[in-house]
Amino acid sequence: MSRADVDQEDVDQALCKGLMMTNTPAISLKNVHLTLGEGAGRVHILKGIDLDIEKGMSVGLVGPSGSGKSTLLMVMAGLERADEGTVIVAGSELGPLSEDQLARFRGRKVGIIFQSFHLVPNMTALENVAVPLELAGDTAAFEKAKAELDAVGLGHRLHHYPAQMSGGEQQRVAVARALVVEPDILIADEPTGNLDDSTGTQIVDLMFSAQRERKTTLVLVTHDPALAEQCDRMIRVRSGEIEEETSSGRASQEEVTA
Amino acid sequence: MSGFVPSGSAAGNQTFALASRFALRELRGGLKGFYIFIACIALGVAAIAGVTSVSRALTEGIANEGQAILGGDLSFSLIHRQAGADETAYLDSLGAVSRVATMRAMSRRADTGEQALVELKAVDNAYPLYGTLDLQSGQSLEDALAQQDGIWGAVADLALLARLEVEVGDTLALGRSTVRITDVIATEPDKLASGMEFGPRLMISDAAIGDTDLVQPGSLVRWHYRVRMSPAPALGDIETVIAQVKSEQPDADWRIRSRANASPGLQRSIGRFAQFLTLVGLTALVVGGVGVANAIRAYLETKREVIASFKCLGATGDFVFRIYLIQMLVIALIGIVIGLAIGALIPFAAAAALANVLPVQLAANIYPAELGLGLVYGLLTALAFALWPLGRAHDVPPTALFRDIVTGGTKLPRKRYLVATAIMVVLLAGIAVLLSHDKFIATVYISASAGAFVLLVLVARVIMFLARRLPSVRSTELRLAIANIHRPGALTPSVVLSLGLGLSLLVALALIDGNLRRELTATMADKAPSFFFVDIQSHERDAFNDLLVAEAPSSEIRSVPMLRGRIVSLNDIPSDEFVPAQEGSDWVLRGDRGITYETALPENSKLTEGSWWPEDYSGVPLVSFDAEAGTELGLKIGDKVTVNVLGREISAEIANFRDIEWQSLSINFVMVFSPNTFAGAPHAHLMTLGWEEDVPTQTELDLLKTVSNTFPTVTSVRVKDAIAQVNDLVAQLAWAIRGASSITLIASVLVLAGALAAGHRNRIYDAVILKTIGATRPRLILAYGMEYAILGLTTAVFALVAGGIAAWFVITRIMEGSFVLMPVTAAGAALVALVLTVGFGLIGTWRILGEKPAPVLRNL
Repeated sequence: MSRADVDQEDVDQALCKGLMMTNTPAISLKNVHLTLGEGAGRVHILKGIDLDIEKGMSVGLVGPSGSGKSTLLMVMAGLERADEGTVIVAGSELGPLSEDQLARFRGRKVGIIFQSFHLVPNMTALENVAVPLELAGDTAAFEKAKAELDAVGLGHRLHHYPAQMSGGEQQRVAVARALVVEPDILIADEPTGNLDDSTGTQIVDLMFSAQRERKTTLVLVTHDPALAEQCDRMIRVRSGEIEEETSSGRASQEEVTA
Repeated sequence: MSGFVPSGSAAGNQTFALASRFALRELRGGLKGFYIFIACIALGVAAIAGVTSVSRALTEGIANEGQAILGGDLSFSLIHRQAGADETAYLDSLGAVSRVATMRAMSRRADTGEQALVELKAVDNAYPLYGTLDLQSGQSLEDALAQQDGIWGAVADLALLARLEVEVGDTLALGRSTVRITDVIATEPDKLASGMEFGPRLMISDAAIGDTDLVQPGSLVRWHYRVRMSPAPALGDIETVIAQVKSEQPDADWRIRSRANASPGLQRSIGRFAQFLTLVGLTALVVGGVGVANAIRAYLETKREVIASFKCLGATGDFVFRIYLIQMLVIALIGIVIGLAIGALIPFAAAAALANVLPVQLAANIYPAELGLGLVYGLLTALAFALWPLGRAHDVPPTALFRDIVTGGTKLPRKRYLVATAIMVVLLAGIAVLLSHDKFIATVYISASAGAFVLLVLVARVIMFLARRLPSVRSTELRLAIANIHRPGALTPSVVLSLGLGLSLLVALALIDGNLRRELTATMADKAPSFFFVDIQSHERDAFNDLLVAEAPSSEIRSVPMLRGRIVSLNDIPSDEFVPAQEGSDWVLRGDRGITYETALPENSKLTEGSWWPEDYSGVPLVSFDAEAGTELGLKIGDKVTVNVLGREISAEIANFRDIEWQSLSINFVMVFSPNTFAGAPHAHLMTLGWEEDVPTQTELDLLKTVSNTFPTVTSVRVKDAIAQVNDLVAQLAWAIRGASSITLIASVLVLAGALAAGHRNRIYDAVILKTIGATRPRLILAYGMEYAILGLTTAVFALVAGGIAAWFVITRIMEGSFVLMPVTAAGAALVALVLTVGFGLIGTWRILGEKPAPVLRNL
């Protein structure tokens, strides 16, 4: 019990510090290295990444398979721990946080959208969306979840199970689940990879409008050049290094320079 | 700017209640995948709850009928002698008294000379004080036993009529008199109090026994004085009454029993047997535990993504563990409730099924304490086997959602889960030992099971290691079989563990049973004499000896004086207050023992300490004590032993200890006194007769006939009959034990079926790929068959070795017999293993072989 309290205090302190540093970037990576696997299978995946992403930005990570873009995304979400370097997300340095502290941090600060949805099969749409709020101890979890599902146009599917919904509907539930905690950072791993074009477009519109309305920072990994084009910034990753950065046409200059 | 929740309310938010909510949501998916889990737990719990409930129902039944079984509220038993006038007066002051005499005697048909050993009981008019004795014709006992035309009436068990081929109305010679069978006993209320019986009951009246001449000084007759008190003392007050009697009659050598322990020997045996069966039930539960662990592992494997999702959404490892722990507990409780329901019904079923077999009415009821024991064992077993795999859920990485990581299946869970598992195992073992009568045997049993468990885990590892290291073989089928044995998620650990434990137990029990019976029938009968002749009066001893010599010239005849007496005190400490140094020989202090005197060290005995007295010894009385009993009681040379024989207390000094070969069944006594101890005391003699060579049964029966006709008051016990009696008892117990241990085997089969089902998806994939590239069904069957055969054989070999060692230990160390390995029994067990693994394996795989490749390939 005491251990959980201490964890919580640490996180809260770290987060408060983050709130005070208003001008700091939403995500800041300095010299990040990561090696995965063991023995002969060891692969140096991230090789000294330096990257700052400002608040409210949308960033597309692109690159060939195996380039390390998904791993980079996981490092930003606190899902993977860097071997070397510092990772500061939403004002918190992730390095010193324990696994449980990281989990709580994710629950409150990061919304994640997966390529294959990853809804909990034995929970209804409403319950799936309520999970992160319940985990964070929010007493109004179900009201907020319902509102979020209404917002993604699924108000009529609240009590359906994932298996009773189409792929597009499932991904909309996943988006609602990612947004319901009002995260500082929204992370998406090929969010349209398992969807047909028109459904994919709907999801993309949903994500971008939410990002703009809530001034959330959005980082997404995609193979789709058109989707990457829609982001404020496009970062190309190759062999674990940032190869080039492009400010896309949609980049809003005043936000970048602010 | 964000939905950040302040720390105060957030601190303990991932609570047990929330975890329960999540767990219940997940369980909405149904219990698919958990049926084996539930069945394993239900089976073990039902076995334990059932066995303990039946045992309780039996002891309660005996207690309920305590007055009828004992024949009174209190019973005072004397051997060799009747109560004196003072004693009788005292007993009469306690309440209504009924006097019953019991002894063994020969009954003969006058016309054919056929005879049979009977358990003779002479009763007075007050008998029975409690309960009713029913005769087949419905007439009263008093009428049936009355004298008519100068011949006393007698009633008998139907078995006696069958044995001697006589009918109601026929006469039988009994001692030096004749009795007429007037009726057949339908029910005898106090039958259970008699203990081990060597023959059918023959009941006559108190007045008739005098005419038989069977009661002589020193003859082995027991006089029981049953007292019905008015009002009958409450069960709880009986001890006070007994204490009062003891203080008022401190010198009486009678043995007092109360309705609270009407049949102490039987109650003890039921208790011991039930506890042994409980241990067997626990083994079934432990075997089933492997199924629990398998089910949880398989379930969590399918839940990896969900767990990773929870973690991505902010769940801690602890919280995830709690979600699945709660689900496991819910499922375990379902199994436990089913098991308890079955266990609770078993006493009722047993009462109905055994109504005509048991001499006592089972008090069928729902016994919460016994069911509670089943619940505790079930819960602890489920936890002991579930915590380990559940602990791994704690560390499922959230990144599992992004990339397929080959699971580190052998990684240990965190220390806290290992410690929790260890605590459950210790609790389980501790409770089992604490609740058992014989803590030594329970400890040995549990240590052996735990040892076998660990060994089997190692054996499985070694098999997988060897399979991995095996050089490549040319046969594709064998190669596939070997690959299946060592690949991740192989059947090997489950099969070796579950089947190995069940089979080891089965082999051990079969070998113990076989050896016990061999010892009883072969070894014992070889060494043992053919006849015991009891109650030979001193004046007829020489004539009796002459008759035996004349009738069986080639036989070996031995004769010893024989008295019976009770140890009153050791070193002046009353025997009921004496605390033995070790367990095992307290029986010596209970009840009466055969006592003899000898001038020289008896045959079959060996002095271990001290020296034998000179032939003409005339000093203070000396006694030679059985070495083992002496050690266990904590006696030494020079200690004082006081016995009560024929109502007289006699003290003697321990002069030596000697080793006795009990199994030989020749004349042997715990205590052999110096001849001067009993000088002048009236006593009878015991003789044995044996042949070196095998003699035809007819020779034995002819001798028996001659002896019984010439010496009608001498009781002859034919050893072969007695052994057959004991053998029947052992056989019945062995069946009960085998029945109980087959539950373990059923648990093994359940686990096996579960493991096969879990590996189903992998096998379909394999089979389809192999079929796609041209493998035929016979080749696949061959490959799978070889895999199962290798596993089954290895397990059988282990079971033979482990079961053999266990049986050897029990026979040589605990029962102190000699051990012989029985190849047929062993081969039988191996066959069971093979049939089970190959049979169930192939049945499980059959469906896989019919799988069409296309649909599977499309979904890959």
